[in-house]
Amino acid sequence: MLFRRSDVPLKGDASGRYLPWLAAVMVYLASLALVCALTMNRAITHWQEGLSGSLTIQIPHDADAAGAAGAPERLERVVALLMATPGVREAEVLEPAEIERLLRPWLGGAAGLDDLPVPQLVSVSFDPAAAPDVDKLAREVAGVAPGAVIDTHRAWLGKVRDLARSVQWVAVLVVALIGACAIAIVAFATRMGLSVHGNVIQLLHLIGARDSYVAGQFQAHALTFVLRGGIAGLVLAVGTVFLIGQGLRGSDVMLLPELTLQPLDWSALLLLPVFVALVAMLTARVTVMRTLGRMP
Amino acid sequence: MPSSPAPQVKAIGKDLVRFEDVALRYGAGPVVLGGVTFHLAPGSFHFLGGASGAGKSSLLSMIYLARRPSSGRIELFGRDVASLTRLDAAMMRRKIGVVFQDFRLLDHLTALENVALPLKVSGQRDEKVRRHVAELLAWVGLAEHLESYPPTLSGGQKQRVAIARAVVGRPSLLIADEPTGNVDDRMAVRLLYLFEELNKLGTTIVIATHNESLVARFNHPIVRLADGGVRVERAQTGAQTRPSKGSAA
Ligand SMILES: Nc1ncnc2c1ncn2[C@@H]1O[C@H](COP(=O)(O)OP(=O)(O)OP(=O)(O)O)[C@@H](O)[C@H]1O
Ligand SMILES: [Mg+2]
Repeated sequence: MLFRRSDVPLKGDASGRYLPWLAAVMVYLASLALVCALTMNRAITHWQEGLSGSLTIQIPHDADAAGAAGAPERLERVVALLMATPGVREAEVLEPAEIERLLRPWLGGAAGLDDLPVPQLVSVSFDPAAAPDVDKLAREVAGVAPGAVIDTHRAWLGKVRDLARSVQWVAVLVVALIGACAIAIVAFATRMGLSVHGNVIQLLHLIGARDSYVAGQFQAHALTFVLRGGIAGLVLAVGTVFLIGQGLRGSDVMLLPELTLQPLDWSALLLLPVFVALVAMLTARVTVMRTLGRMP
Repeated sequence: MPSSPAPQVKAIGKDLVRFEDVALRYGAGPVVLGGVTFHLAPGSFHFLGGASGAGKSSLLSMIYLARRPSSGRIELFGRDVASLTRLDAAMMRRKIGVVFQDFRLLDHLTALENVALPLKVSGQRDEKVRRHVAELLAWVGLAEHLESYPPTLSGGQKQRVAIARAVVGRPSLLIADEPTGNVDDRMAVRLLYLFEELNKLGTTIVIATHNESLVARFNHPIVRLADGGVRVERAQTGAQTRPSKGSAA
């Protein structure tokens, strides 16, 4: 009881009133950025896993009648070749009806597919561990069906991954900037506290306090106030993520994985306010020790 | 074993406080103190006299390490204060109790917490000290005000809290700047007895005061400031024992 209260009355200061709010806002923003970065990570793995064991073969529509007549045989030759290729698990010919279903949103209901030069598509899935040599396969396929093209989705995946990575870097940058802001704010608040309570600090020195004792008071203040605000900010951020997750579930966004966090992500998120509070504490200490150390 | 050749030199070497030709001025202002030389032996009891504005508080502030002299040399506990690091100074201040002329109590702490502060600062956080602190406050007549905050206390009550805070850590050196300025004569005498008790236990004491009747009543030497210089007088005879070493320019 006797020794619990802080000697430097920082609680009543402006810094005592604003620090928790600033911490709440900063942790809120940093949490959202962190969730964004973590979700992107998951999305990338999700897409990679989904596409790594598959490729698509396109056999272009042949304009002249003779070619058109040979189309079914060509398709059979390609499927036979694929089945003979080691590592291939399945080769599925997309039925014209299925292709029509996929294309309808772009073409409008009225168009008849028969009039259009729609390529024939074969969706191939293979064992990712024993993936066939795509270049060799392409040459062989072209041998039995001239003009056929193999699409490994790699180009598409690469682009999406680049985009996801840049979003991720921006998120990390945002977290870093927020961290820098937190340091600047706490350093400023600490310096203000030192000057506002200059007489108290002088008295503490005169009765034998070391600089580290004075620093301890500022540290405790920064730690508790920033932690309090940070926890509030985290709670708000989790609420926001939950709401966004609910919103996405209703819509049909196929590309994004579900906005659910893994246990590891959760612990990173929960540690964020603690981390920010520790940074604040360290900042307060360094600021006090430096400022007092410069005194005669 | 050869006997000590110059016991007097040795005795001087043991002085607790040594001022050698110390001068002080605030910034570019006039010289407040000049050519101040005096020595205080451990266990001694001195009054510090001089007119208002003579520089008593300024001189004491150099002893409790709040201020460095503009020139000259000060030794405390056998160490040149110019050579002290911040940490050394903090450790040395723990051996010095100070009653400030303006008390300097912390308004947001109770009387009890204020008095316990020097113990807390030096790392004694045992809740048992509460009893010791409470007893000390009772001794200075504040048993009813343990939980009072300084702004609610009278001048004399604040002064007694300040005195309790100065002595709570059993300092080797006690410096009191007008410690009886706000209390009646009876309390003043009582507080002086407290200082004498501490002195008997070995604490070196320096008390700045205007109160000549108190000085006359207690038989202790006087360090008197006049014209920026200093003179040490025996209380009983008023005789000058040490000549002034100079005066302000
Ligand atoms: N912080 C300061 N800055 C500038 N001048 C000061 C400062 N403190 C004291 N002085 C000046 O130093 C001189 C001595 O002041 P000091 O307070 O030491 O006197 P004092 O003997 O304690 O007086 P009193 O008996 O009234 O307390 C005064 O002329 C005063 O104006
Ligand atoms: Mg004074």
